[in-house]
Amino acid sequence: MTSPADTPNAVRQDKYYLALPLGQRSPLRVIVDKRNLLANLLLLGLLILLAGASLNIGSAASLSLPATLRALLGDGSPLDTFVIQELRLPRVIAGIVTGGAFALAGCLMQTVARNRLATPGIVGLDNGATAFAVASVVGTGISLAPPAMALTGAAVAAALTFGLTGRIGVRGYRFLVAGIGVGAVFGALTQLMLTRVSIDAANAAYPWTVGSLNARPDHAVLSLSLALPPALLAGIWLTRSLTVLRLSDAVAISLGIAAGRCRMAALSVAVILTGLAVAVAGPVGMVALIGPEFARQLSAKNTVPVVGATLAGAVVMVAADLLGRMLLAPIEIPVGIVTALIGSPLLLWILLNPNARTAP
Amino acid sequence: MTHDAPACERDTAQPDTAPDMTAPDMATQGLSLAYGSVAVIEDLDLQLPAGQVTAIVGPNGCGKSTLLAGLSRLLKPRGGTVLLNGTDIRHQPTRQLAKRLALLPQQPHAPEALTVAELVRFGRHPHQSWLRQWSLEDKRIVDEALDMTGLTPLAQRPVDALSGGQRQRAWIAMAIAQQTATLLLDEPTSALDLGHQVEVYELIQSLAASGKTIVMVIHDLVSACRYADHLIAMHQGHVIAEGLPGETVTPELVRRLYGVECSLITDPATGAPLLTNVRRTRDALDGSAT
Repeated sequence: MTSPADTPNAVRQDKYYLALPLGQRSPLRVIVDKRNLLANLLLLGLLILLAGASLNIGSAASLSLPATLRALLGDGSPLDTFVIQELRLPRVIAGIVTGGAFALAGCLMQTVARNRLATPGIVGLDNGATAFAVASVVGTGISLAPPAMALTGAAVAAALTFGLTGRIGVRGYRFLVAGIGVGAVFGALTQLMLTRVSIDAANAAYPWTVGSLNARPDHAVLSLSLALPPALLAGIWLTRSLTVLRLSDAVAISLGIAAGRCRMAALSVAVILTGLAVAVAGPVGMVALIGPEFARQLSAKNTVPVVGATLAGAVVMVAADLLGRMLLAPIEIPVGIVTALIGSPLLLWILLNPNARTAP
Repeated sequence: MTHDAPACERDTAQPDTAPDMTAPDMATQGLSLAYGSVAVIEDLDLQLPAGQVTAIVGPNGCGKSTLLAGLSRLLKPRGGTVLLNGTDIRHQPTRQLAKRLALLPQQPHAPEALTVAELVRFGRHPHQSWLRQWSLEDKRIVDEALDMTGLTPLAQRPVDALSGGQRQRAWIAMAIAQQTATLLLDEPTSALDLGHQVEVYELIQSLAASGKTIVMVIHDLVSACRYADHLIAMHQGHVIAEGLPGETVTPELVRRLYGVECSLITDPATGAPLLTNVRRTRDALDGSAT
């Protein structure tokens, strides 16, 4: 970057942005912020590193790197291949997609609410999804699969929160207060269900209440893996509008943004992602707070780091799972507890730091 | 700059004919606006002259900001229509409308660390698309808007580090970059000191001189008289007077609007009406009952 003083033309966008393709006359000019590109590459590298480590390290056997690669490609020893392909790889994939989904949902909700605290977990979506997923597991007579139930739960919680917020919409503290209330009710419902059923049923539902990658249903991982790429594309598509929406509704509408429609689209994507991610890993809501925060620190100011948040969420989730498996090995600490341990101080910091409270 | 003319006179989007011919005609027909169940404006017919500065004045709560919200499609009318170039604005896609009509809300807030250049760049948003996010044309127009508002040296400064007047000019620069023929401003000089007020008013006048239609809501009647070509006085949701400031403003009107007595003289320097000897009327509280 050159200093502003010796910049003859005030707007030297070319210094900060990479226009694709590079031809000046090309009608197609997509701007990629160089700093964001760098941040995303860094996060991607970190994710690959952590995913590799997660495949390598474990209580059964810590494999050498060549052995891991061979097992991954299917020509290692039968035991290694089983451990890597059947046990660790699905777990790593589940970690990547749930972390990405939670953080992307968090980033979208924080942006439309213009508040860093407005993550799906805090406004009750996680608890709603959990309550419904647990209801399907403990046998309350509802026999939908956990992903469908969790999705329904997230949607119901979102509808309740909006209903209670009234005409003011997602901005302002009422949205948060209503969401915290809705979340508390669903949390209590979950606990109530668990105390009323047999110990076996309660055990089966336990992972959903703390957040763990240990008991992931395969079909839930598949539905989330299918939903995440289009959701990410939708997020990327919405980024331009969301960036303008950060200014104010009046300014955004004046600049031609269909503010209501844009906000509804972003929220719908967040609800779907949260519901499907809870069906896999339970309420690991802290990732929705940590991931976007992490991405925002690395990315250029005044951009909405949709891709960065997704990658950072995946990084946090895989790292937390790895930590949880390593710290007290062979006992596993559920990933939800690890992220809560990291996330709570961050949440306190956001609450106590007036500069960090607003404007995601 | 070596040019004496304001930059936007060279604007290719506006042909060199008389502004009245090219600038759009904004009007309302039977417009009714309400917040929830509270009707603010009912059955309002209004013509906003093209290529001129129109000032909407009136006491607090008279509905002038509501009217601006209705004109700029922020508030959906309960009845009637807002016409731009003879077409109902609700029948135009919001992005198309954003190329013709810009609104600057009252004291807009810029996110932390947003620079002036980045803010002005947002003005190009309606002209861009996902696959065509930036062009040399956009760059030229943004540079020009910065130049017109005298902000070129401050382009890389954060908006929230500017003085009040500079900040307001930055927002106006964003609206200029939007290249609309009509610009609506909600109290563009509130919270500005005298020097900064004059700075903003003169910028607004130069924009009208270049062919834009300006509609602004302002509190200060004296400034309205001084800088507007057309004055609309509102009271309890109704237009009670409109026309040239010099012909419209009378001691009687001031009493009805604000419940104060005054004498009017003509400013020897500008010819605009000036309020002097302003004092409360005895029946200030029911001064509206005329």
